[in-house]
Amino acid sequence: MTASDTASTTRLGRPAGPAIDAGARATFTNTIRLRLRVPAKLRNLELVLLIFGIVIVVFAIGLVQLGALGTLFPHMLELGGALGVLVIALHIVLRFAAPQADPFIVPVAFVLNGIGIAEIYRIDIAKKFTGWEGAGARQIAWTGMAIVLAMAVILIIRNHRVLQRYRYVAMFVGIVLLLLPMLPGIGQTVNGARLWIHIGGFQFQPGELAKIALAVFFAGYLVTARDSLSMVGRKILGIRFPRARDLGPILVIWAAAMSVLIFQHDLGTALLYFGLFLVMIYVATGRISWVILGLGLFVGGAVAAGQSLSYVHARFAAWLDAFNPQIYGAPGGSYQLVQGLFGLAHGGLVGTGLGQGRPTIVPLAESDYIIASLGEELGLVGLFAILALYLVFVSRGFRIGFAGQDDFGRLLGVGLAFTIALQTFIVIGGVTRVIPLTGLTTPFLAAGGSSLVANWIIAALLLRLSDSVRNQSNLVVQT
Amino acid sequence: MSQLTLLLLRFGLLLILWVFVFAIVYSLRSDLFGQRVRKQPTPPANASPFIASAVAPTAPAAVTPAPVAAVASASAASGSLLFPAPGEPLTQPVSATPSSIAATRLVITSGPKEGLELSLPNEPLTIGRSSESGLVIRDDYTSTHHARLMRWDESWVVQDLDSTNGTFLDGTRVTLPTPVPLNTPVRIGTTSFELRR
Repeated sequence: MTASDTASTTRLGRPAGPAIDAGARATFTNTIRLRLRVPAKLRNLELVLLIFGIVIVVFAIGLVQLGALGTLFPHMLELGGALGVLVIALHIVLRFAAPQADPFIVPVAFVLNGIGIAEIYRIDIAKKFTGWEGAGARQIAWTGMAIVLAMAVILIIRNHRVLQRYRYVAMFVGIVLLLLPMLPGIGQTVNGARLWIHIGGFQFQPGELAKIALAVFFAGYLVTARDSLSMVGRKILGIRFPRARDLGPILVIWAAAMSVLIFQHDLGTALLYFGLFLVMIYVATGRISWVILGLGLFVGGAVAAGQSLSYVHARFAAWLDAFNPQIYGAPGGSYQLVQGLFGLAHGGLVGTGLGQGRPTIVPLAESDYIIASLGEELGLVGLFAILALYLVFVSRGFRIGFAGQDDFGRLLGVGLAFTIALQTFIVIGGVTRVIPLTGLTTPFLAAGGSSLVANWIIAALLLRLSDSVRNQSNLVVQT
Repeated sequence: MSQLTLLLLRFGLLLILWVFVFAIVYSLRSDLFGQRVRKQPTPPANASPFIASAVAPTAPAAVTPAPVAAVASASAASGSLLFPAPGEPLTQPVSATPSSIAATRLVITSGPKEGLELSLPNEPLTIGRSSESGLVIRDDYTSTHHARLMRWDESWVVQDLDSTNGTFLDGTRVTLPTPVPLNTPVRIGTTSFELRR
């Protein structure tokens, strides 16, 4: 790639008049540019990893059938293969629309999604569901839809800076999506949490999409407001704290998170939105005082809620005293949590093998507790591989924040990647009893269309952002 | 299907999952460990006596052949300029020179590619050993993501991205984003460049 890009890498002190020189220089570099057409190295790497990923997914589905049924049924394998074809189509779209995009995002997302499908299908077999009544087939359909949507996002948003212009629209959309389940007619309460809307036999969790809209708004807002939030303020104990009048935004977000907690009965979503804002404001201003303030506010609010709201109180009790027989037996107690832990323990180091465990003992084994099911059947070794894949995915997003060229894109990349990281932490931390259990979906793995669609859109946005991290050098100095 | 085959397939799945993880980690090794350094065939006589990992930030200043070296080592020896407390105003080295907003090109004034120039882009220009940088400098003293040149309201500003061996503006180590006046040498590793009209 030496001396390829810009039309001005020439030796100094060339004996020529400026006018003639410029013309000659332009044609000269044009010929160089033609000769040095950069091969699509990143996309080729992505293709290799994708084919590898498709092999893993089909292998996992096959293994589920062998383990649970003893023979192979080609029907499900064909569906898995069809998803492979679709994801290759996404890869081809990337070759044309975003050739410099990150090569790891799509394979990692696809493998996580595919492992999730295999496990959901396995739970369907155990529950004797077939066809469309099984969550596995629906999950495959949702995956197909989500990948098509990801392609659409990549094709429609050709430059992510456009999103910055719509930051207040994004705010409005985010708030509306958050409030939608509260509407009487379409809102629906499932398992005590009012997070769903229901339109004509079609269920959706709009909060999942709201996190994308809010990330866009936070990034756009913080880029403009960063200076007033970071430069001024009084120093207390060596840490610069913001002025009282700059506390507006954080209080608004805190109030929104608390209202989700109180009215929608969802601790996880509240934590997710507030954590997202906190991290983005920290990244934008570089001041630890925001984190201290924010964590103080949230912990204070959560403790107060724990005292007054019965469901939060029950969650805390189930977390702290899970093995107490009274709490174990109580409705909404720790039965699910403890069964999940038993499942993980049964899996041990290498697991019982796909299709050979008994993950269905845990309620909601295919959605909230998919991690416990996978932990039982793939063991600690398999679970750590899954966590490593999440780590790679998130680190690719953070890398955009590090190597990106414009502030909006950098903040958005960090914010989107952090939602995935925080959501994974909240879910897996809840299942493994690190933090109180809250009902969020494991990104890409868990059964549920809204979460899949939202996460594939996040993947598409990260691809778009990483494409703009400029990859061609103007000049290479090498010794 | 015998139990043994099933057992083998089970471990096979775990194995290929981890092979997949390590394939990814292997392909992004340059992100994790930095771009590989090419061994210099004949190191310049006056640039050899320390290794890249030398912790003392004064070391690179002492060995550059450029005229900057004298100033750099002098200021580095004083020590106070290296890490000024945050908030402390950074003295601008050459304030008399015109603002660099008019600069259109970057000229390499010393180092292996002395005399090369490149036109300044409209967006920020990243400098480092990574092949993704706008200006790639591959020598022992440059970090993977070393520094960045940005256009701020009135002038071009150089920002050091926490590099190991530092970025020197007219002999002074840059710790905060600092405006770069015209015709003032900026040194990164063994390469110096200036912004010119």
